[in-house]
Amino acid sequence: MLRYLAYRVALTAPLLLGTALLIFLAGHYAPGDPVQVLLADHYTPEGAAHLRHELGLDRPLAAQFAGYIGRAARFDFGASYVNPARPVAEIVRQTLPVSLRLAALAVAAAALAGTALGVCAAVFERSAADRLIQLGVIAGLSVPSFVVAAVLVLLFALRWRLFPVAGWGHPSDYVLPVAVLAAAPLAYVTRISRASVRRALAEDYVRTARSKGLRRSAILARHVLRNAALPIVTTIGMAFGYAITGAFVVEVIFNIPGMARVAVDAILQRDYSVIQTAVLVYTAIFTFVNLAVDVSYAALNPRIRY
Amino acid sequence: MRPLTPAFATEPVLPRGVAARGPAALPRWARREWPAAAAAAFLALLVVLAAGAPWLAPYPYDRQDLDHALQGPERLHWLGTDQYGRDLLTRVLHGARISLTVGFAAVTAESVIGVAWGTLAGFYGGAADAALMRVVDLLIAFPSLLLAVLVTGIFGPSLVNIVAALTMTAWPAMARTVRSEVVALREREYIEAARAIGAGPGRLFRRHLVPNAMHLVAARATLDVSALVLTEATLSFIGIGVQPPRPSWGLMINESFQFLQSHPYLVIVPAAALSLTVIALNVLGEALAERLDPRLGGQRG
Repeated sequence: MLRYLAYRVALTAPLLLGTALLIFLAGHYAPGDPVQVLLADHYTPEGAAHLRHELGLDRPLAAQFAGYIGRAARFDFGASYVNPARPVAEIVRQTLPVSLRLAALAVAAAALAGTALGVCAAVFERSAADRLIQLGVIAGLSVPSFVVAAVLVLLFALRWRLFPVAGWGHPSDYVLPVAVLAAAPLAYVTRISRASVRRALAEDYVRTARSKGLRRSAILARHVLRNAALPIVTTIGMAFGYAITGAFVVEVIFNIPGMARVAVDAILQRDYSVIQTAVLVYTAIFTFVNLAVDVSYAALNPRIRY
Repeated sequence: MRPLTPAFATEPVLPRGVAARGPAALPRWARREWPAAAAAAFLALLVVLAAGAPWLAPYPYDRQDLDHALQGPERLHWLGTDQYGRDLLTRVLHGARISLTVGFAAVTAESVIGVAWGTLAGFYGGAADAALMRVVDLLIAFPSLLLAVLVTGIFGPSLVNIVAALTMTAWPAMARTVRSEVVALREREYIEAARAIGAGPGRLFRRHLVPNAMHLVAARATLDVSALVLTEATLSFIGIGVQPPRPSWGLMINESFQFLQSHPYLVIVPAAALSLTVIALNVLGEALAERLDPRLGGQRG
């Protein structure tokens, strides 16, 4: 177990370094010159050369990359090209916690409700409730999050005025964004937990428990849920993925000052230092989420030994 | 020991009833699997409408008529007009054209890359397999929307870059599917026989391995189209996908979101078109997957 952990952790460093190299090279060869963007209407060849020198863009590629990595290791990502007064590291510090908090709330809601719905659907298989839940799962996985957002805003914010249309700061501002973010992971967790419980219900030990006269609730709690839990736990990592990417839509719609909106704005304005950092931050997040999922899977399942 | 021949590998590609009793059994299949049949009919209609959009649509998609902006459904504009007075019906039809073109282009590209990658990894095995599949593991771990956002983010939004970004999100899963099949096929007797009479790797790929993995590719690709169409719509909604004045369903919803209260149909019409399309692709894809690849179908049950 410890050896596996060490191996998985050792794998993350080259991965992050490789990603950094990739986005660095991509940024260098991608269309759209940052100098041109920065100068915009004031573009002159002399001014461009001067700025290029100031940003270090005229140095050899290898030197630029080495410098970049050295600074990134100290969490110094330079200043935003579009808004030079703001260091990128500060932007990340302010906006990333917002995105993470939203994602955590959405995952918690999806995990609780999804497990309950999935267990319910599996226990009452082929009932009307099961069919309804199955239908909801297909809808939840198919309907895009911005359509879910449109419907929720139309009904809860515009028609019934229960929650604000957009904004950030008040607790009631959280309700609609979290609901939108939770929709897809909810469907996903429901589907996996239904399949998982159904499989456990078909096991021989459940029949044994039933034949010795154990009550249904006791069978469910003691035998079924415990054995069905493993696949459900590992869906949480996936659910986190849905919630983090859903933020690209939700933060734009609800005007939330999170990391995803910063990334989208940076892409639209070709603010390259911010784009580069956002890619790195998201890569790091998912590397660690996957690491956590793999390790928890190994820790939870006694049949898996590395 | 050689793996036993799985039953599904030799089964015909058509639904069982159809293959056994000829085309006369098609209505029976449609009745038994009515959701898949309905989805197929809807998609066929959509493809016809999308292909014929330039001739069927009553107006050019970017013709503005500010005197008749934000009008409800009427005789001249069956679905009304948007904030620039552009005909909504026209834009929904052209939106279908863009969504389906991008989706099919990306699914073709990802299938070609995935099949080549997976076949090479599965056939050669060893270090080559390990190296090729590490790349796949790496990419598969990323949520596809994030990957697409990052790729278009780095290279900038254009139709070609959108297709490239979508391809990036889908090919690793295809490669993994194909590889696992090729690993099983590699040990089969007819491959050994072909090798014995002197067939080189190129011939083995073209004549034996790829054709025999094709049913899996078809099942996977159908499911992928729905994900790709959805991702394109999301990119366009965020503003880094299809660029105006070209209509894409995602972009139309974005442009009309501010009129949600006063003119909700401007959002509802493209949203309904998009949702129905994705649901239909999912339903059809899962029915096909259950037929063509029991493993995929079972997983999703």
